[in-house]
Amino acid sequence: MSTVAIISSFADDTQCANAIEQLRAAQVGDFNTFSPIPSHRIERAIGRSKSPVRWIVLAGGILGVLAGLAITIGTTYEWRLNAGGKPLLSWPPFIVICFELMVLLGGIFGFLGVMMLSGVPTTEMEPGYDGRFGEDRFGIVVRCDEAEAARIELVLKESGAEEVVREGA
Amino acid sequence: MAAAPKISAEPSYRDIDRSVLRVMEPAGLAYWAWIGFCFTLVAIAAALWARQIYTGLGVTGLRQPVMWAIYITNFVFWVGIAHSGTLISAILFLFRTKWRTAVYRAAETMTIFAVATAGLFPLIHLGRVWFFYWLLPYPNERSLQPDFRSPLVWDAFAVSTYLTISALFWTMGLIPDIANAREAASGWRKKFYTVLAMGWQGTDRQWRHYSMAYLLMAGLATPLVLSVHSVVSWDFAMAINPGWHSTIFAPYFVAGAIFSGVAMVITLLIPMRRLLGIEDLLTEWHFDNLAKVVLLTSLVVSYAYITEAFMTWYAGDPIEQMTFHMRYFGPWGWMYWVMVLCNCVMPLLLFSPRIRVNLRALWIVTIFVNIGMWFERFVIIAGSLTANFEPSQWAGYRPSITEIMITVGSFAWFVGLFSLFSRFLPIISMTELKEGIVWLRKALKMDRATAA
Repeated sequence: MSTVAIISSFADDTQCANAIEQLRAAQVGDFNTFSPIPSHRIERAIGRSKSPVRWIVLAGGILGVLAGLAITIGTTYEWRLNAGGKPLLSWPPFIVICFELMVLLGGIFGFLGVMMLSGVPTTEMEPGYDGRFGEDRFGIVVRCDEAEAARIELVLKESGAEEVVREGA
Repeated sequence: MAAAPKISAEPSYRDIDRSVLRVMEPAGLAYWAWIGFCFTLVAIAAALWARQIYTGLGVTGLRQPVMWAIYITNFVFWVGIAHSGTLISAILFLFRTKWRTAVYRAAETMTIFAVATAGLFPLIHLGRVWFFYWLLPYPNERSLQPDFRSPLVWDAFAVSTYLTISALFWTMGLIPDIANAREAASGWRKKFYTVLAMGWQGTDRQWRHYSMAYLLMAGLATPLVLSVHSVVSWDFAMAINPGWHSTIFAPYFVAGAIFSGVAMVITLLIPMRRLLGIEDLLTEWHFDNLAKVVLLTSLVVSYAYITEAFMTWYAGDPIEQMTFHMRYFGPWGWMYWVMVLCNCVMPLLLFSPRIRVNLRALWIVTIFVNIGMWFERFVIIAGSLTANFEPSQWAGYRPSITEIMITVGSFAWFVGLFSLFSRFLPIISMTELKEGIVWLRKALKMDRATAA
């Protein structure tokens, strides 16, 4: 049995989210959506948990604070400069460095994390991708066995798809 | 360039794309002549800097005791300009402010180029610029390390972090828009945007991680922006110099930064919307709200000027009082009063809703604010140094042509970079404008109703 890709397009995210719910109710799991904007409706319909990128940012932030402490305390002990008789480890100013490095590494980790998790950079486009989906249309691409295609096409059409096209995957 | 086709009062996603992408079509001769003009000024400034490096800081007007003057003024001014971009892109994002979507990309772009301009000035100010890396801790054979109790070291960390995070935040926002541009472009531009878009397709998986990371980056950028100008203010406040050594400096500088930055956003956007034909995307409603931010921060800055004077009077320190007397009534007293006129009096006009939406009047007010805020930094930095603890040390300062031309060059560098960006990358975020399309429709309806 050969696999096909069913490409459907919707005029707005409400219809698209509705179609996703119908697909899930019809036990169809292997699909991908494209949208011009991030949509909470679509995200809720798909029902995935929160992105793990937040843990990556947290790790970056903690690493930044630790790096800040290591740099400030380490270099202070390496170059023992007596400034006005103050204690060698006069730590309050170090908070500034720790804070800046927390933001720096948290941000860099967040950026790299989102790149890694969302699969960019890439030169390969997902099957069914169309420029319209960046502009003003919401797309759902379902990959399924040819035998099931007619049933899924019906679900998509009934959910308000403007266009449903079948392509060999 | 001719005006863009008017979009309807009920714009669609496609209308937004068409209006923004139209700006990115190949530019005419006038545009390139403008870019050429800007970068000629930059080249002159670069040549003068090269001469300064070769000859030494003697070519500037810097003499004891005024060793910080125009260069450091420019540094603080440009870092301040940068702040409004992050305010609009990050802080107002967290507050879910409706009007930010149309202006945030331009403001954020301004941030990047303003920090890139600001970052040059500590380097230009150095006598031996090739040793700039001495501010950073790095392994060396004598275990010689920077002193982390010095605000100049904090500054190196804060400004470089700010540039990096702003650039990443800006890049993230740009990726989905560049993917849109990739679909619309042809020829070498298509290849250019294909590389920059990095294969973005707007899948649910991509948006899921993107939205979370964007929120967190905004959360990180928010305290960062407040910290950066606080650190810049501590460059002064940590010194015991009269006129600098004050506890109000951090909030005072942050408010001033946002004040000058939002004014600069307006100064740039008013001509830009006309030249690029995007009047339908940047409406009076957007400018009205931006003007309110200018008004609010102007009041905060005015309050800070009064507090500063009160604290000096109440504390009763004669040297501090002498410095402030010189600031108000000394040889450079006129600068202080120009500053008061520009920063405290002129913005009061913005209490009038009619002036807030009269773009010519608003533009003139913001020009005054830009001038006033530059003067503010000059008055604080160079002005405070002329009259120090020892009257025998008192001396004036006269900027040299090198300093003046490098300052002019910095403005040309900033405006040139911004102009280049505005025609090659989406100057308005299509994605966010689409997300807030309801508000754009409301703004357009209000605009059309006013016009009718």
